[in-house]
Parts: sequence; structure tokens; C-alpha cells
Amino acid sequence: MTLYEDNKELYDSIPAEKFKRVERDEAIHDAKFQTKPICFLKDVWLRFTKNKASVCAAIVILIIAVLAIFGPGMNRFKYDEQYPDRVNMPPKIPAIANLNLGIFDGGYVLKNRQYDSISDTTKYPNDCIINVTNPQVVNGVRMVDVEVDYYKYLGISDDECYWFGSDYLGRDIWTRLWRGARMSLIIAVVSVACNVVIGLLYGSIAGYYGGTVDMILMRITEILNAFPRIVIVTLFVMVAGTGMFSIIMALIIKDWVPTARMIRSQFYRFKGSEYVLAARTLGVRDMALIFRHILPNSMGPIITSSMIAVPTAIFAESFLAYIGLGLQAPETSIGVMLSQGQKVLLHYPTQVVFPAIVISLLMISFNLFGNGLRDAFDPTLRGAE
Amino acid sequence: MDKMNEPILEVKNLRVSFKTYNGKVQAVRGVDFHLNKGETLAIVGESGSGKSVTTKAILGILSKNAIIEEGEILYQGKDLTKFKEKDFYDIRGKEISLIFQDPLSALNPIMKIGKQITEALILKEKMSKQEAKKRALELMKTVGIPQPEVRFNQYPFQFSGGMRQRIVIAIALASNAKIMICDEPTTALDVTIQAKILDEIKEIKEKNDLSVIFITHDLGVVANMADRICVMYAGKIVEVGTSEEIFYSPAHPYTWALLSSMPDLETKDELFSIPGTPPNMIFPPKGDAFAERNQYALEVDFEQEPPFFKLSDTHYAATWLLHPNAPKVEMPDILKNRIARLRREEAESIG
Amino acid sequence: MVRYIINRLIALLITLFIIISIAFCVVRLMPGSVYEMGGDLSQTVIDALNAKYHFNEPIIKQYGYYLENIFFHWDWGNSAKIRPNVPVFEILRDRIPITLEINLISLFGAIPIGMVAGILAAIKKNTIVDHIISFMVVVFISIPSFIFATCLQYFFGFKTGSFPIIYDVSATGTARYASMVLPILALAFDPIARVARYLRAELAETMNSEFMLLAKTKGLTYAQSTVRHGLRNSMVPLANIIIPMFANVLGGSLVVETIFSIPGMGGLMVDSINSSDHMLTVAILVFYSLISLITILIVDLSYGIIDPRVRMGGKK
Repeated sequence: MTLYEDNKELYDSIPAEKFKRVERDEAIHDAKFQTKPICFLKDVWLRFTKNKASVCAAIVILIIAVLAIFGPGMNRFKYDEQYPDRVNMPPKIPAIANLNLGIFDGGYVLKNRQYDSISDTTKYPNDCIINVTNPQVVNGVRMVDVEVDYYKYLGISDDECYWFGSDYLGRDIWTRLWRGARMSLIIAVVSVACNVVIGLLYGSIAGYYGGTVDMILMRITEILNAFPRIVIVTLFVMVAGTGMFSIIMALIIKDWVPTARMIRSQFYRFKGSEYVLAARTLGVRDMALIFRHILPNSMGPIITSSMIAVPTAIFAESFLAYIGLGLQAPETSIGVMLSQGQKVLLHYPTQVVFPAIVISLLMISFNLFGNGLRDAFDPTLRGAE
Repeated sequence: MDKMNEPILEVKNLRVSFKTYNGKVQAVRGVDFHLNKGETLAIVGESGSGKSVTTKAILGILSKNAIIEEGEILYQGKDLTKFKEKDFYDIRGKEISLIFQDPLSALNPIMKIGKQITEALILKEKMSKQEAKKRALELMKTVGIPQPEVRFNQYPFQFSGGMRQRIVIAIALASNAKIMICDEPTTALDVTIQAKILDEIKEIKEKNDLSVIFITHDLGVVANMADRICVMYAGKIVEVGTSEEIFYSPAHPYTWALLSSMPDLETKDELFSIPGTPPNMIFPPKGDAFAERNQYALEVDFEQEPPFFKLSDTHYAATWLLHPNAPKVEMPDILKNRIARLRREEAESIG
Repeated sequence: MVRYIINRLIALLITLFIIISIAFCVVRLMPGSVYEMGGDLSQTVIDALNAKYHFNEPIIKQYGYYLENIFFHWDWGNSAKIRPNVPVFEILRDRIPITLEINLISLFGAIPIGMVAGILAAIKKNTIVDHIISFMVVVFISIPSFIFATCLQYFFGFKTGSFPIIYDVSATGTARYASMVLPILALAFDPIARVARYLRAELAETMNSEFMLLAKTKGLTYAQSTVRHGLRNSMVPLANIIIPMFANVLGGSLVVETIFSIPGMGGLMVDSINSSDHMLTVAILVFYSLISLITILIVDLSYGIIDPRVRMGGKK
């Protein structure tokens, strides 16, 4: 405790004229707010960019989206071009192959070859052999496993390389992968967008009118919700066919229900809130209330939940492909590629690897991105460190 | 009287800040006070003045973004600010206990009341279940809960707000703590229950020989509870004195303002309200924090922080108005009249 | 409470009835007769089956007979392609146990692991442990179970040979379980992550509650207050997320079973759709619906049993 007596000289040395009452010419005003006010969107942006994982996720999504748009046009192949003489080719990118990293070198292991024939250039064209392993003697003949650059082995020039290899019909996996990613993304984004719109309308009507209308509408969603998603989606695709449109429709049938419920509960939450009541007593009209007060408050949850719905839709699409209800050939999607690659997994694992990596990255990124958005939009976390 | 003046808890120059996005909020800026054995010390101030933060620092339950910048909290010769989480286990409940502001959320909703009271007894005091139950029933009776046997096996949602606060008090009493901190114990309750709970606390304090720190923003509540009162403003104590001194001869303009804004039965004019808003604690003002809102502000108030001026052995106030060079300023008329009236009434009631 | 349960049961039956109806109509809307040439059935058998199930009569009548067969004779029709002329119900009866076995093991195996991870993450919130667990949670939730299945099959089945590549139908005892390890693992990642994520969020919130502060001020140690108040309170809603997860696992199992050639419901559904064995498909879809309806029902009922607030409220 700083006492006056403890330091009397110091305090008494303050000039006497300082001890004058401050003349106040006007009433004391409320102090000015000194910290800078941060607008809602800026706050969201600040908090989102602080979350490194979400920012990375957003970048990954962007890269995949760009590749999905431009990827298929980046080499000479078309997604439905078949080369029956070049099936199941290993991936090769000449620039990377020259680095000798052991990847993208078009390497393929030919098992149990006669050791003596290795130097035979009619069988093994010039420097196509990468590695010779597993020497053994079978019936007195020396056998080895020969890893060859399959392109050189078949005499295909470097400009005709399949960057990610080819599938069982000799189609380019790079082109098909991005074509497939494009299809998967379109299916996911379109279905989610439709779900948001339907859910928004439906939920607003239920929340706005309340009463009997609300009860009937909510009963309908309850009934819809009782149907298992897998069954509904499967049945629908079985009837409507396996086109892109019918898959999108199948992902709409009941997936809008959560959005509708959320919007409705937002309406109920804000209907009773003081500030809406205040706006009402000031004579603000209903439509203005909905669009200026209630819906903006629901933006955060809507954006967040739709971000998280995208990977769910991508998953559903690949699931359908796996159970044989995917897009029809020659059209492709990530799911279709996965289920085709699965069949030859043990012999040509690269045919699964690329679509698996892309779908995993997409799912992880969308989830991380959604989580980041959720935290950024959460009003209870505003301003927190 | 000797016993009364023996400090059981001393807080010295305590500074606590919170890290936030906008900067460091200096919630408590050098607080000194002591709690004598057996007394009730009230800490009064508006919300955000740092009173709850001070008590949370005493019990080591500050939130994670809080930093104790400097200062000491001395209890039984030990400095609690140096304590680790583990060291607090023997302090909390056993030595110092806390009653919360909001009894509605302070009880675990899915645990039976009885279990919540006996829990600490069984785990910390190693009582047997029967003993603990016996003690719990006694405690429930002490805090005025009818039919304790029935209530023992009920859940919090079956209790009213006042009943729940009684349970919280019972829990605070369970381990025979020597100091009880009441953090606005009646704010969340109905006015009708408030008085009852206050009486309860007062009675329990006498019976169990407790020392009490009573935190409130309501001077009316402390009037007949507290032995001494600390008035806090913007993270600092501005005036400290016995209950009598604060109510009958307040010296700090903020205390004047507080007292004038308190309604009583005789209030006929418009009630006084303190103009302006409390300062932003990220940028605490230079000089006296109250100067901006002070009708009696001196020039020096804006430049240098006032020291404490001693008015009596127990009464100190931090305002330049008490400096010999300061102009003579009388307290506002409303207050003067009120004090005179109170003195008269008291004289009458005694006479 | 009893009335509530009865109401819910009736609602369940009605929903099931609607699903059967929709499924039947869908199947009949598909081109071609249910039993037709091309499979392994002879023309005489086809005629006999078509006559037995009245597939030569108008669709309304067919529907009537179909319902009658189900409700009065427990006859779900005969398979056309997968196992020609074998009653559908018999096929299901053979297939259901293995699916349930794998799904239940992976679900119940996942719960303790997920709980430990979730508790660790909540207690060590914002430390490296939490960050690692939270990242793993996102990865596990994001990556579909069939990708895990593929990876496990390739690395632990094919490359290292630690476990059989596909399910061994003929094996018994340990060998059988060894061949079930990979599919169980593939299915377990998602529930592990979901339990962990849920418990982390719930526990972290509970830890911030006022009653945790009270528990602290009582003098309980960190461990005591965490276990007695934090964990206990977080567990209450846990049951409600675990039960619906069963439907989730079952969905993933559809594909994982095909990948590992497990003779369960999943593989059966894929096969029956691909070979247009319609009567079988309908029965399988009804089975999945039934499971999902039952889980929803159990969740609703369990709210009342676990939470004293609801339980006591119901009594009054």
C-alpha cells in the first residue's frame, strides 16, 4: 500500500496549483471506446487465418479444384481414349524418372526371368533395365526378377508417357483422375448447394409460420429421417439409373433435412431473442427481420455445415460406385476409379493409390476447412486468444 | 480484540492480467488488503473492478489466460501465488472455501446432492460413508434444509435456487474451512431469498468462527454483514475502512458516488447515477482511474496516482482531495443529509 | 413410458411397412420379370416361381400376395441368381451372423480406444498430445473405411503377409479370427475417431463448467474432479452417439466385406444389386432399414434411462 506518510516529501513537492478543481464546462460523457471495433466478417477472417491447418486445407482444396478443371487438358490423352496395347502401364514422368528416386520411373518388375537373356537387346531394349533382384536357381537355370522401365521395354517414347499410368483399357489415369475428381466435386457441390437451398426455404417456412404449418413440416422431416440413407440412396439410383443427375438427386432426397432443422431452430432461437423483439417493437417488417436479422445470424452454421456435407457427399458417391451403382463407363469419378483399381490392387497398386490419395486429401481438407470455419464463425469464441 | 487484529490472510500488491486478442487486460493492478481472524471483510465494486479475479487468485482457480504479474498472497506464512496446482489441493475446501455467484450451475446436475456434499469428506478427510453421511445431514440441517434425509438422495434439478445455494454453502462448510469467500452469493437469487441466505451466512460464520470475504456490488447487502469494507475501482482499492467509517465518513469521491446511488426509503429525488463508464483496462488511465468520471477531480488526478491517506488506524483512502494542498471539498448534499438522518435514527433507536 | 414405447413401436412398424412397399414397387418398376431366363434356373422352375409369387398378375395383386407371403408365411421369395431357388430368408440367415460379428467387434473394440484418446486430448488440451490426437481424429473420420481396407489389405495382407489377404471361410478358431483382423481394423477407425472427438469436446466443455470449479474448490485433486465430475457427466450422452454409429459401421461394412470377400450381408447386397436378384435385394434393404430404425428407437428410449433429469421428470 503506497501511503502518503511514507513519501511525504515527494507528494508535497507537487506544485500547489495542481490541486485545483478541474472546471468542467459540460457534463461528463461516456468514455470513448478505445479498442478498435472489429466487424464480424473481419473477425471471422482473422480467426480463420490464425488456424494454420484450415488455411492449408483451403489451399489443398483450391489446388485439387484447379487440377480438376485443367488437369484433364494437361496431356495428350482423353479420358475415354483406349489403347488396348498399352494396358496397366506403370506411372512415368520423365523429369522425375531422371532423378533416380525410384518413383514415376515407369518401373515394373518382371518376375522369374532367365538371367542369361538380360543382355539380349531384342528382349530388353537399350538401358530399359532399372534393377535386377532376387537371383535364384530353378532346375539348373539362373532366374532373376528384372525391374524394367516398362515404356522403354515396350519401345514407347517419353512424350507418350502416362504420368500416373494407365488402366485395364489403356486409358490415362492422370486424365481420368482429374476428370473423376471434377465429376465427384460437381456431384458433391451441386447436391450440397441444392440441400442448402431446399433446407433454407423449408426451415424458414417452418420457423417463420410456426404452429400447425411447422408441426406438419417437421413431421414430414421426421418420417424422411426414419428411412436409412443407404437404403434410400440405393433404391433411388436403382430406379433412376446411374447417371450423374440421378446420383445428385439421390443425395438430395433426405440430406436437406439437417439444414432445414437447423434453420428452423435458428428462427425459433432468434424469434424469442431480445433484439428481434426490440426490432419488432420498432416496427421492422417481418421480411426485413428475416433477411437482416435472422438469416445473417444463421450464415455461420449454414456455411460450416455445408462444408462438412461436401465430403459426406463425395463419400456417398464413391460408396455407390463400390456397390456397382456408380457412373457408367466411359464416364468416371473418384469412386469409380477406386472400385476399378481395387480389383487389380495386388498387381497394379498404383491404380488405387492416386484416387485414394486425392479422395483422402479432399475429405481431410474439407473437414479441416469446415472445422476452421466453425471455430471462426462461433460467436462465443469471438475475440478470444 | 487482540484476536480480531491478527491477520489470517494478507494480499500484497497483487497484479493480475488477462491475455486477450486486443491486448493485455489489467484486471487487478496492485491490490493490498488483509483479512483478520473472525471478521467479515466486504469487497465492494462495480462489475469488472477486479474483485472476483482477486478471490480466484487466492484459490488458484484463475482461468488459463490469466497471469499473476506480481504480488503475494500470504496464508499461514506461505505465499499462495507461488503454489502449484498440487499444493492447492490442501488449501481448497480445507482451509479456504468458496461460495459461488450462480448456484444454478455450480452443482453437478447428474450427481445426487448427498454425494456432492460427502464427496470431499470421503476423499479428503478419509471419513467412512456413514460418518460422512451423518456429517452431511448435520450440515444440511445447519444451512436450513428441511427433511435432509429425503433431500440427501435427490438431484439438483429437484431443488429451488435458494435451496441450491444452501447446498453450495453446506459443501463449502463441509471440510471446516477457516476462510469462506462468498462471491456475490445472492445475486442470482430472488430478493426474498437473499435476506434469508445472508442471515444464514452470518449465523454460520458466528457459529463456526469463520473469517469471511464477502464480494458484492451492492453496498446495501454488506451494510449489516461486514466488519470492514474495501471499495474497489478499476482493479485497485480506493478506500478501506470499518463498516462505520465507510458508511458514515466516506472520503473517496467514488465511495460518495456509490453511496449516493444507493436507494433507501427516504429517497425522493431522482437517484444519483455515476456518469460515464469504467475505464478500459487494456489502457488503464494515467493518474487516478476515477478522475474521468469524478465531479471533484483535481488537475493532479490526471497526472499522478494518489497515495493512500490515513484517516484513522483502520481507515485509508486514495484520493488527492485529502492532500493538505487540496481545496476543501464537502461530500455531496444527498449523502450528507442521508448520513445525518441515519445518525439520528440510530441515536433514537438506542435512546 | 410404456405408452411412449408402444407408440414408437407402432411408428417403427409403419415406417418399415412403407419401406417394404417402396422397395417392392421399385423392384417391380425395373424392366423384366423377377424370375427370367439367363440365370441358372430352368424354364419350368421359372414358371413355377412366377406362378407361386403371382408375377403374371397385375402389380397391385402381386403386391398383395407379396405382403401376404411375408406376414402370414414369413416367405420373402426365392433368390433368382445368387443361390437359385433358395428362399431369400434362408440366405439372409446364413449371412447375417458374420456381418454382425465383424461390425460389433469393431464397434465395441473402438469404444475404449476412442475414449482413452478423447480423454487424453481433453486433459492435455492445446498441447502437442491434443494436436496429434485431433489431427488423427480428422484423418480417421475423413478417410473412408474402404480406403483403409485397401491399404491394410495391400500392406498387412499382401506385402508383409502378417494377416490373410481375404477372409478365410473354411478356417476355424484363431485362424478365422486372424482373417477377420484387417476388416475389423478397417471398420474401427471411424468409430474410434468419432468417440474420441465427441468425448474431447464434451469433456473439455464439462471441465469449464461451474460445477467443475466447485469440485476444485472442494479440494478434489485434478484427477478426482476429472473422473468423478468431468468424465461421469460426459459419459451420459456418449451412449447416444455410439448406438447410431452402428448403422454407420454397417454402411462401411457393405464395401469392406466385398473387399475382403467376407460372406456377409455387405457382399450379398453388392452381388444382388449387380446381378439384379430383386427379391433378395428387397429383403436386404428391409434388413438394413430395420437395423437403422431399431438404433434410432434405442437412442430415443435411452435418453430417458440414462439422464436422471429425464428419468425423474417422466416419473412425476
